[in-house]
This record gives sequence, structure tokens and C-alpha cells, in this order.
Amino acid sequence: MSFQFAYLAGLMPNLAVAALVNLRLSAMIIVLALIGGTALTILRSLKIRPVNAIIAVLISFIRGTPLLIQIFLFYYVLPAIGLDLSPTVAGVAAIALNSSIFISETMRGALITIDPGQIEAATALSLPRHLVWAKVILPQLFRRVLPVLVNEATIVVKGTALLSVITVVDVLRTAQQIASASYRPFETLIGAALVFLAINLTISLLGRRVEGRFAVQRA
Amino acid sequence: MAFDPAILVQYWPLFLQGAWLTIQISVQAFLLGYTLGIAVALLGLMPGRLPRLAAASYVEVLRAIPFIIILFVIYYGLPFSGLRLPAPLVGTVALGLFASAYYAEIVRAGILALPRGQFESARAIGMSPLQAMRHIVGPQVARAIVPPSTNMTLTMIKESAVLSSITVPELTYQGLVVQGNTFAPFEVFAAVTLIYWGITLAVAGAAHRLERRLGVAQARSVSRNRLAASYLLLERESAR
Repeated sequence: MSFQFAYLAGLMPNLAVAALVNLRLSAMIIVLALIGGTALTILRSLKIRPVNAIIAVLISFIRGTPLLIQIFLFYYVLPAIGLDLSPTVAGVAAIALNSSIFISETMRGALITIDPGQIEAATALSLPRHLVWAKVILPQLFRRVLPVLVNEATIVVKGTALLSVITVVDVLRTAQQIASASYRPFETLIGAALVFLAINLTISLLGRRVEGRFAVQRA
Repeated sequence: MAFDPAILVQYWPLFLQGAWLTIQISVQAFLLGYTLGIAVALLGLMPGRLPRLAAASYVEVLRAIPFIIILFVIYYGLPFSGLRLPAPLVGTVALGLFASAYYAEIVRAGILALPRGQFESARAIGMSPLQAMRHIVGPQVARAIVPPSTNMTLTMIKESAVLSSITVPELTYQGLVVQGNTFAPFEVFAAVTLIYWGITLAVAGAAHRLERRLGVAQARSVSRNRLAASYLLLERESAR
């Protein structure tokens, strides 16, 4: 059996259509994770002891267990306690939770690089707490974590490939379906790899350009 | 729904076997990945455009593709070229390859962070090349690469769960087998999750001790400004 480039080229349109599923889910996950990560960071800054203790366990759990297992937990275990989610919803929820935790941990690291004098100045102007967050801290924080967010976006895109395991028809599952009909798994999987390569290299490239613009603004 | 410990009592040998295979695969993939990673990092630091381009492409390509697809391409691609290998071996090699791209970046950054002339200065004050590596260069590079290497190794251990999808009988696979036999997802995934959590906590703990011995800077000076700390710190300061 030889590698057939014509066959690979022929199936790329199908895989590109399936890629829209990965892109749509990734976009949803990133928006959810950014909101979740920011909310979690602000919540942690309130330093309510029991709340932070629970969050600390959650962080350790999410960072200490495989994403695939977290997806299984949402897919297999939640129905057992009466919460029946579709594979897509379960998968999006699992990856979004995972990503929120990682984004919040990144924000924790970036927060201490913000000049304390700015908080003093804002408080001296009697800015209420929510405005200190909205006008002083968050704009700088987002700018600082942007490179990590771009990286996190590529991790999320790669994570959506795992959803094929819980029957979401994404690029990988589409490739597997095509392969099981044509008996040419190698070409179809290479095709799937190329799709992810294209998506993630584009994200990295766009990320670098956006960072460049921010760098110029700052100078 | 009640938690039924009988399932865990009945199936614990499977979980144990799975966990042991996960550990074995992780150790082997770490050794393979780090060796390859160092080689790729050194290739990238060689003079000339071609080696640098080769190393950079290797890293970029492996980092842009989901591990599950790298795994499938190798697993289904090898028989295609007439080579049939057992799934655990294929899985270990794929995991090592995947990790090597990240290790290469870590090692490269660690070497580049070293101030110039450290080795030469050590030689100039009379150290042998071996002493210079052992006392001057080695500790500085180690300090820079241990924390990110730990992170990557934890990521790699967690990615090994994906090997279940090519029937490698590691922890996740055994969990899915027991789940298929018992239809008790809660008990099964609680056990699997806790075992993974235990493994990663143990590795993180060991790495933390290593970092302390190497003198990696611990928690940066905490802001003494109470007002700022109320916004910018997420934990209470420990009592001093």
C-alpha cells in the first residue's frame, strides 16, 4: 500500500467542514473559560476562607488529573447523579472548567506584578472596589496574560480532539469514520493532523501579531 | 445513588495493574522524551540555518497537533509501512516524542538563559572542564529547567490517559473495562481519578524537594502593602 496524495487531497474538504465543529466548540470554551477564570480570580481575591479552601482543592484536582478523565467524569458520572448532558455539552463544560482553572492560576501569577501604588491611587480617589477591578486591574491583567491566553487557546483546540472519544463528530471522528469506510487510516489521520496544524499555527501567528501591537502601544 | 465499595474490592487488582503500567510508561517516555529533547535543543543551538530550522519545525509541528492524533498517526501509520508493534510500545514512543518537543524548548531556554562566559570564567580560575560543568554551569541550567520540566512531566503523565484509546491496558483503560463490566461510573472514575491525583501529587512533591535543594527561588517577596494585597494576592499571607 502506498501513500496516496490524491486521496488525502480529496478528503480535505470534508475534514475542513468538520474543523468548523472544533473551531465553534473551541471559541465557546475559550469565552467561557475567560469569564470563569476571571470570576474565579476575583472570588479568590476576596479571601473568604472556606470558599478559597474549596477552590484550592478544585485547582489541585483539575491540575492533577487527566483532561480525558475530567471529560469522562462529566460524560459518564453526571448522568448517574441525574444530570444527563449531551456529549457536546458535557465535553464543552469539562474543557471550559479545566481551562478556567489554568487561566485563574496564570492571573494569580500576573496579579503580583501590578504596581501596588496604582491600587493606593485608585483607593485614594475613592474608586469603589468593583471599579478598581474593572478600570485598573483587569485591563492590565488581560494584557499581561495575553501570551498565555494565546497558548491556552491552542491547548483548548487540541483538547477538542479528545471529544471524539465521547462520540462528538469532530475532525478526528470524521477522519475515523472516513477511514473505516475506505480502509485508508493513515492518509485520513494525516489529514486530521494537518487541519490542527493549520488551526494552531494560525492562532500562534495571530497571537504574535496582536502581542506586537500591544507592545507598540505600551512603548 | 449510593457509593458501592464492593466494586473496588472486587476489581482493585485491575486498577493496580493499570496504575503500575501508567507509571512504567511515564518513566520510559520521560527518559526517551528528555534524551530526544536535549538532542533537538542542541541541534537548534548549532550554527547555521538548516539545523535551527529543522529543530524549530520539529517543535512547532509536534506542539500544534493534539497528542491523540500524533498517537493515532503512529499507531495506524506503522502497520501501513509494514511494521507491527505492540500497542504499549507504540504508545510509549508516541508519548516520548510528544514530550520531547516541549522538553527541547525548556532545555533550549535554560541554556540560552545562562550568562555568557560562565564556563570560560570557571576554567580561568583553574577548574577542570568537569568541575566547571559540575559546580558552575550545571547548577545554573538545572535551576532554570527543573520547574518547567516538572510541569511538562506532569502534563505527560496526564496525557498518558489517551493511550487507553489504542487499547494500552493502563489506568484509564482498566477503568473503562471495569466501567463496562459494572456500569458503576461513579465508583470507577472516583478510583481512577484518585490514583492519578496521587501519582501527580507524589511527582510534584518530589520535584518540589528537588527545587528546594537546587535553591530555586521560592515564593517571591509578598507585598507588605495591606491594601494592595487585598486585591493582588489570592491567598492570605501565612502567619509570621
